[in-house]
Amino acid sequence: MLKIENLHVRAGEKAILTGLNLEVNAGEVHAIMGPNGSGKSTLVQVLAGREGYEVTQGTATYNGKDLLTMAPEERAREGVFLAFQYPVEIPGVNNVYLLKAGLNAIRKHRGEPEVDAFEFLTLVREKMKLMQMDESFLNRGVNEGFSGGEKKRNEILQMAVLEPALALLDETDSGLDIDALRVVASGVNSLRRPDRAILMVTHYQRLLDYIVPDRVHVLSGGRILKSGDKSLALELEKRGYDWVKQEAAAA
Amino acid sequence: MSAIATKTAATAQDRYRAAFEARTQDGGPLTELRRAAFDSFAAVGFPTQRDEDWKYTNLRRLESRSFAPAEAAPVAADESGWIAGAGVRMVLVNGHAMPGLSSASPLPPGVTVAAVGQWIANDPAAIAAYIEQHAPARPSVFEHLSTAFFEDGVIVDIAADTVFDEPIYIVHQWAGSAAAMSHPRVIVRAGRNSRCTLIEHYLGSGDAESLTNTVVSLHLDAGAQVAHYRLQQESSRSFHVGTVRARLERDSRYTCHDIAFGASLARTGLTAKLEGPGAEAILRGLFVPSGSQHLDTYTLVEHVAPRTVSSEEYRGIADGRGRGVFRGKVIVSQDAQKIDSRQSSRNLLLSGTAEIDTRPELEIYADDVKCSHGATTGQLDTTSLFYLRSRGLSEQEARALLIRAFAESILTTIECTPVRNYLEQRLHERFAGDGILP
Repeated sequence: MLKIENLHVRAGEKAILTGLNLEVNAGEVHAIMGPNGSGKSTLVQVLAGREGYEVTQGTATYNGKDLLTMAPEERAREGVFLAFQYPVEIPGVNNVYLLKAGLNAIRKHRGEPEVDAFEFLTLVREKMKLMQMDESFLNRGVNEGFSGGEKKRNEILQMAVLEPALALLDETDSGLDIDALRVVASGVNSLRRPDRAILMVTHYQRLLDYIVPDRVHVLSGGRILKSGDKSLALELEKRGYDWVKQEAAAA
Repeated sequence: MSAIATKTAATAQDRYRAAFEARTQDGGPLTELRRAAFDSFAAVGFPTQRDEDWKYTNLRRLESRSFAPAEAAPVAADESGWIAGAGVRMVLVNGHAMPGLSSASPLPPGVTVAAVGQWIANDPAAIAAYIEQHAPARPSVFEHLSTAFFEDGVIVDIAADTVFDEPIYIVHQWAGSAAAMSHPRVIVRAGRNSRCTLIEHYLGSGDAESLTNTVVSLHLDAGAQVAHYRLQQESSRSFHVGTVRARLERDSRYTCHDIAFGASLARTGLTAKLEGPGAEAILRGLFVPSGSQHLDTYTLVEHVAPRTVSSEEYRGIADGRGRGVFRGKVIVSQDAQKIDSRQSSRNLLLSGTAEIDTRPELEIYADDVKCSHGATTGQLDTTSLFYLRSRGLSEQEARALLIRAFAESILTTIECTPVRNYLEQRLHERFAGDGILP
């Protein structure tokens, strides 16, 4: 579903990704771990179409299409979703309005009719229950005055409503207490499907206890140095990242 | 250089004098008043940018134009821009009251809405006396011009203890394409403990290069409440100068929503004078210059009496080469203790060539006061734009949503639903294009 080859990305003068390769198939959950500043967030932001980065080399294809030339909204309409590390507060833009506008943009792109009001509310209520969110959130401004945990839940709520094919989760666990983490994780797990891929970026192994990945990658210095199954995450938790770097340097 | 400037200025005043002298004069007190006002105008002419109050607005283009006093238009005006269901309607076309286009239904006791032109025809001495009696200490040049030339307008009189919740909707409509000028007067007298809502709607016609020089005076007696909406949508080549002066007696409350969309060059000067303890002025404004529009707002809140409150919030959205100016002055007199005054000016620039100048000015001569002010100018937040687009919204939709969100804090304070809906629609037309926004 997602194929990244030799991806080089810079932000201004600074090289951030320096030849990254990654392939994620439908039905898989991949976790990317790595030290601070290794390029984890840059990777998912570039995949979602954030401006301010320059791709100098390499490709990223999504279902065979060149992802990097698409506008952010085209990617979203094609089924790519980014759960933000720091969801933006947008007072004056209604939360439920954004959900509906996003869903309809995606449906329109697929040639489907706009969702009717009743059907939409039923869907949103069901997903809110899953995320243990109060309905009062619907009519507030997007993330306006939400706590850190509420913002992260709202991200997963949006994901549950928009039903992407490729979900990119950027440090979705950061700032969550254990109860909120459980809710968010069960929300994500409920979205696991054979036709959907999830790529999550995290600092901590903790998240992976709740969302168990098929593959774990270590990103450092802008490249993936090592890949493995979920046991790699446990090893990283115990031994840190330095041994991976040394191993890669020796190779 | 200065000789040329002087010559040009003299020419402008000469042209206005010719227009002034050409009018039929009856020689009574009103003519005397007009002549004195004209002489005051002619003595100084149009302000220049050396004048501190006009620092950001250049009037040379206005000064170079010739305008004939506008004639009553026999043609039917374009009604499509009027707000439907906005209340008791009074229509002025080219500054002249048109009873045929106005609401015919009788008003309840205590509510009078009448044409100034009728008053001039019936009793010119009385109107001269009224204007003289209520003249501000230092009228502006444009108020002098208005006194010299005004022919019509609207008087709203609400008797004491009369509550009239149906809005009084005054339409100032231009018709035809002549380079004409109009100086409509609106006089509002709100009696003790009365309540009313006034909507003033300025609408242009085609691409006429007209001048609207309007003077609105409001007197709120003790405990009176007036909600005033001012919607300026003059045509794209026109000039609009609006002067609003509100005097507030004890415990009265004046709320003004000042919305500027139109005109090539517009200036609104709004003064609220809090003369009685407990009086409150609430000023909200939105100006949206685009193309090469220049929209200037100058507000002055005078806290003359103790225990008076003012809150002011203005927002500007500039696109293209549009230029916005907001200056908010607050004066707290020496004996005016226990004052609460808040002011906020937030501005949004949508293009690299747009410009907004904002300046709060506080003059405080009392010591027991709470005054706050804040001003910001910025662009659309790129992270918010990306966030919305990453949810599937097009760039244009995302921009329109964020622009509307920015204006929202002004629009949500509009209690008059037809006005709010109308403005939402106008903003939508200007920014949303063919998006999916409702």
